[in-house]
Amino acid sequence: MNPRIRAGLAGGIFGALITLISVDQVVYLAGMLAGTTAGMMVAYMEPQKKWLDGLRQGIQAGLLGGLFIVIAKLLRAILINPLIGDSTDLGGQFMLGLNGLVIATIISAIFAVIATLPRPQDLIGRYAMVAILTLIYPWIDQYFQYRFMGEVIPVLVFVLMALGLNIVVGYAGLLDLGYAAFFAIGAYATAMVASPHFGISLSFWLVIWIAAAVAAIFGVILGAPTLPLRGDYLAIVTLGFGEIVPIAATNLDTFSLSILGFKVIDNINLTGGPKGINPINRPYLPGIGAFQSSQPIPWYYLILIIMIFSIFFILRLRNSRLGRAWTAMREDELAAEAMGINIVKTKLLAFSMGATFSGFAGAFYGSYISAIFPESFRFEVSVMLLCMVILGGMGNIPGVILGGLLIQFADRLFLPQLSNMMQSIISSPQVQLPSSLSFLHELSFASDFRLLLFGITLVVMMLLRPEGLIPSERQRMELHADEEPVVEQQQTEVYTARNQETV
Amino acid sequence: MSTTTPLLELRNVHSYYGNIQALKGISLTVNEGEIVTLIGSNGAGKSTTLRTISGIIHPRSGEILLDNKRIDHIPPHDVVKLGVLQSPEGRRIFPRLSVRDNLEMGAFTRNDTAGIAEDMERVFDLFPRLRERANQKGGTLSGGEQQMLAIGRALMGRPRVLLLDEPSMGLAPVLVEQIFNIIKEINSQGTTVLLVEQNALMALEIAHRGYVLQTGQIVLADTAKALSENEMVQKAYLGVE
Repeated sequence: MNPRIRAGLAGGIFGALITLISVDQVVYLAGMLAGTTAGMMVAYMEPQKKWLDGLRQGIQAGLLGGLFIVIAKLLRAILINPLIGDSTDLGGQFMLGLNGLVIATIISAIFAVIATLPRPQDLIGRYAMVAILTLIYPWIDQYFQYRFMGEVIPVLVFVLMALGLNIVVGYAGLLDLGYAAFFAIGAYATAMVASPHFGISLSFWLVIWIAAAVAAIFGVILGAPTLPLRGDYLAIVTLGFGEIVPIAATNLDTFSLSILGFKVIDNINLTGGPKGINPINRPYLPGIGAFQSSQPIPWYYLILIIMIFSIFFILRLRNSRLGRAWTAMREDELAAEAMGINIVKTKLLAFSMGATFSGFAGAFYGSYISAIFPESFRFEVSVMLLCMVILGGMGNIPGVILGGLLIQFADRLFLPQLSNMMQSIISSPQVQLPSSLSFLHELSFASDFRLLLFGITLVVMMLLRPEGLIPSERQRMELHADEEPVVEQQQTEVYTARNQETV
Repeated sequence: MSTTTPLLELRNVHSYYGNIQALKGISLTVNEGEIVTLIGSNGAGKSTTLRTISGIIHPRSGEILLDNKRIDHIPPHDVVKLGVLQSPEGRRIFPRLSVRDNLEMGAFTRNDTAGIAEDMERVFDLFPRLRERANQKGGTLSGGEQQMLAIGRALMGRPRVLLLDEPSMGLAPVLVEQIFNIIKEINSQGTTVLLVEQNALMALEIAHRGYVLQTGQIVLADTAKALSENEMVQKAYLGVE
């Protein structure tokens, strides 16, 4: 299939889905996302040298994507809006759809033109573009009154954790099924030193480092017993830790310790038990004051800053000596050892570096939610994080970010919106469900089916694209070695090979 | 050559896998500049001897000395730093790293960028095939090329003693010959080699001295020439009637 049509389709379906389930103004956001998807994809699949070719290509893909948005908008106006009491003004809805189309086309064209710049300007341009969209998002959200910020922030927290897990799983090749334990440890460390629970109130700007350090230390403690283990056995031990930590947090509300008959610690409430610790102090900045939950913008920029810092640090790590040791260990532990790599140190550092970022995430999340409960750190969280890493592309930072964003947004924004819409349709007076169709009522709680949908997505992904959405070169090689003969590669050859594969 | 001091020495080494004794008192010496070969049948303990020297398994008793300093009981990554490098059995190259990256991994313990580049050139001179395939992934090389890569990778650590474990395994006879010529060449450039082989004929041809290993014990030790003329060796390992 023509890459422009493919890119347009991908962006269009994405945009149309969002448009279908959302209220009027969200069409601008749908246009932005559709344009970004279409523009990035078309430039990746069909790289152009001349900026005019890029412009043409970007406009074509963007127009196609935008067309889907217009159609989705009209469909909604005709089929859904009458039922839920939204605007049925076809002309007005069409105009809104057109707005979405224009935005999609413009953004797609910008991305496609940027991609025609010589390296490395194209990369810088692309990242700058993504950075601009990310930075202005809160103002868009506020202007159009989306009120998505409350969900966007936890999404970013989870993406940050996925980046940390990627160190353990993607770089060092250690399958960790209990990563949420470090999230919990970071959050509890924060709660203990920045809340009325123990009466200690350190500043958030100090606490976040304490949380990261505590998580890193626990990374070493939990990593040590796994040293002789590999593969499945390692995964099972980490699974055990993932269970131990939340259960310990539940039960450490009456903690006593006696050594040789002397009560060293008598019945102190360490974790608040099932009720958790609440409230946790908020960050304070002169000029802004203490961050409020009603004011999401400072939180948004804070998590962005933490993420940018983390990404920078992780990139440096990957290209460091330690990063190379991880690669070697992941490839063949015994050979790595024969090359003089200290396996013990390398493994423990993978666990503790991975845990560090979870510690940041835990500290931020704890003070953002201002309360923590053992329930927030269940096995489900670890699995979700692992899926984010695998869906996006193990070992590749943009891939992990994309995978994380997709899964988290589907889970926190898309499905709830979908259920809201379906429920308002079913409960509207115009709809009389015959009793034979009453299962539709159950189905309307789409959020309840999130794990099912999530499972289906994973199965489909593993069958169609096991290396993830944006795989690291190495992963792609491993899983498709039989499809693409390896040649001495130059950039252009890689691209042509890729096109032949995808067309 | 027997007058020089031994570079590597094993004194009555006993090694175990769990409760199973694999080495029952191995004593051997490797002198500076020599090729010493360790021959024997399957399960005789040849690879175990190399693993024990590398520190991957630690001997339960006995001593291993490098330059008269004990190196048993130090971890493998420190043994590598002392200049004892192994090209492991079954090659164990990094399949998804390029040939160049594989070689760079061999120099992991070193920091001298210039020296590493120099040694990389030296390896490429020894194995021109690897230069041709420098950007290719290790896993896509043929068996012979992978063996070259495994040896080259070990050389990148600037070994004082190079431990080679079955370099002829699974290779066509013409390639075996080529690999052995290169081992000789490496040795003539000054690297001491301890060679473990099942292909006793070839090994004895290039080695200075040899040891015959049987069920964890050394049963014969002599110059390579004498061993290849030994009746028992001929019968058991060289297929001479």
